[in-house]
Amino acid sequence: MLLTVKGLAWSIKQKAQPKRILSPLSFTLKQGEIVGIIGPNGAGKTSLLRCISQQISHYQGEILFQNKNMKQLGKQYLAQHIAVVSQLNDTVFNLSVYDVVRMGLTPHKNLFSIDTKADKQAITEALIKTDLHLLAQQSFQSLSGGEQQRALIARALVQKAQLLILDEPTNHLDVYYQHQILQLVTRLNLTVLMTIHDLNLASHYCPRLLLLNQGKLIADNHAEKVLQPALLSRVFALPCYKLTDNHSPQDKVYFSPLSNNTIEASND
Amino acid sequence: MIKYLMLLTLLSLMAALTFGAANITPSQLFNCLFAQCDSQINTMIVWQIRLPRVLVGFVAGASLACAGAILQNITRNPLADPYLFGIVAGAGLGATIASIGFNEQLTIALPLAAFLGALFAVIIVFALANIMQKIEQLLLAGVAISFMLSAITQFMLYTSEPLAANRVLFWLMGSLARVEMQHFYLISLVMIIALIIIMAFHRQIDALALGDETASTLGVNVTKLRLLMLAICAALTAVIVAYCGGIAFIGLMIPHIVRQLVGSNTVRLLAGSVFLGGSFLIWVDVIARSAINNLELPIGIITSVIGSLFFLFVMFKGSRYEQ
Repeated sequence: MLLTVKGLAWSIKQKAQPKRILSPLSFTLKQGEIVGIIGPNGAGKTSLLRCISQQISHYQGEILFQNKNMKQLGKQYLAQHIAVVSQLNDTVFNLSVYDVVRMGLTPHKNLFSIDTKADKQAITEALIKTDLHLLAQQSFQSLSGGEQQRALIARALVQKAQLLILDEPTNHLDVYYQHQILQLVTRLNLTVLMTIHDLNLASHYCPRLLLLNQGKLIADNHAEKVLQPALLSRVFALPCYKLTDNHSPQDKVYFSPLSNNTIEASND
Repeated sequence: MIKYLMLLTLLSLMAALTFGAANITPSQLFNCLFAQCDSQINTMIVWQIRLPRVLVGFVAGASLACAGAILQNITRNPLADPYLFGIVAGAGLGATIASIGFNEQLTIALPLAAFLGALFAVIIVFALANIMQKIEQLLLAGVAISFMLSAITQFMLYTSEPLAANRVLFWLMGSLARVEMQHFYLISLVMIIALIIIMAFHRQIDALALGDETASTLGVNVTKLRLLMLAICAALTAVIVAYCGGIAFIGLMIPHIVRQLVGSNTVRLLAGSVFLGGSFLIWVDVIARSAINNLELPIGIITSVIGSLFFLFVMFKGSRYEQ
């Protein structure tokens, strides 16, 4: 098993009172799996990823990577095996795409080591795989959201990690780039764990889904078994329907908006 | 681009040696440097007055520019510079205490006290940085410490004798008039050690550009790296402030220009900052000693005027571009 999460729970203190963000949850991840984490805002999706990537370390329970407790693994070891692509954030300074992709070498290098031919080759291959080789010397800031996301994935490729963690990789992207990014991710032959808001995209690209709600793991199953209208209606508090899509093997889910009367009643 | 900056430095070093009260031609200078000087006076002027001054100007400008570049990269703030962390204010307090407390041996006591004052300021910012993990809080803590130490300095100067106040004020405005060759050796040593350590961590510093959390997932211990770099920048600045006084704006302005020329990659940024920062201060010192006959201007005044005009120009250009 590549990743084992056992009874993971995490709380924060709010006005001196503990507030539970993640209730004890368990699941495993096999080598090569592509797993999506879905759920409403505040469900604990990003917190779960931050626990797994050890950005949050004071959690309860155990997270094992290749059967080793992650709390006992060094920062550098983790960086050599797990790559994290966070939600896009603005960079203040002007770095080239090549510089950003080159950052993937960081966990594999000692203090005074220089880039070898093999390193440069790895960077070039990652740029080609993500279709960015023509933009290598361009400023990272000047790229579109989709191109920036691809550059960050190229950086993860140079990192040579076994597990790729993506936090909302399709956020702020238009439909074309959403599919482009997810197609790229599924082509990489890596184990992938990602949070994703669009349920239909999630079912299209992630064979297995974890459904979180209020910090609890509500469902962990094949995508079509998780995306059940009754379950989704309960979790997202909106009427949900399943629609057959003639252009895709997967059915689509559709949420209808609440009427104004219903919203007012629920506010009361 | 780095090659051109290197060439600019070499030309600046040579050209600056020909400026001064005594008229020494380029051929005389060449003979003095690489063969035999044609007079005893020229030997003294070139080797004991001009060369130390030009070389200290180069290493001081280079060091301040590097300190600014690194502080900006590790804080992800283009406005960060050594002044922001109270280093100069601490040095000013140290110099004030020395000027008021020691009437004799001020040549040793003043730079030493300035160095200790700068270290004192950094230790306080360090202690606060350990408590405040957020980078914005660290910057604000630096500003607060800077104001606090300046207030103590002003109070001490207000209640002290006018001569001591004059001495400190002149020293705080910065000058290369009293530098010697041994200062060049000392500042160079600190700069070389600092650059070696910074180069060892260049990948980690680059990784910070995409945020603390991203750097952390690349195996970087962000807090330790930031504290180490802060210590290095403090040492770099403290040693310069101790021997050359307060020289503002170089740490802020030079990295800003270098980023436009070579980007923000730490290795290229440092190389560019060394050459451009060094060349810049060499020329500022030339202006300081030749702008007004028989009067040497404090270099801090010139760097502040050029720096503020430069930033107004950048902002003006930026706002026109946005329109």
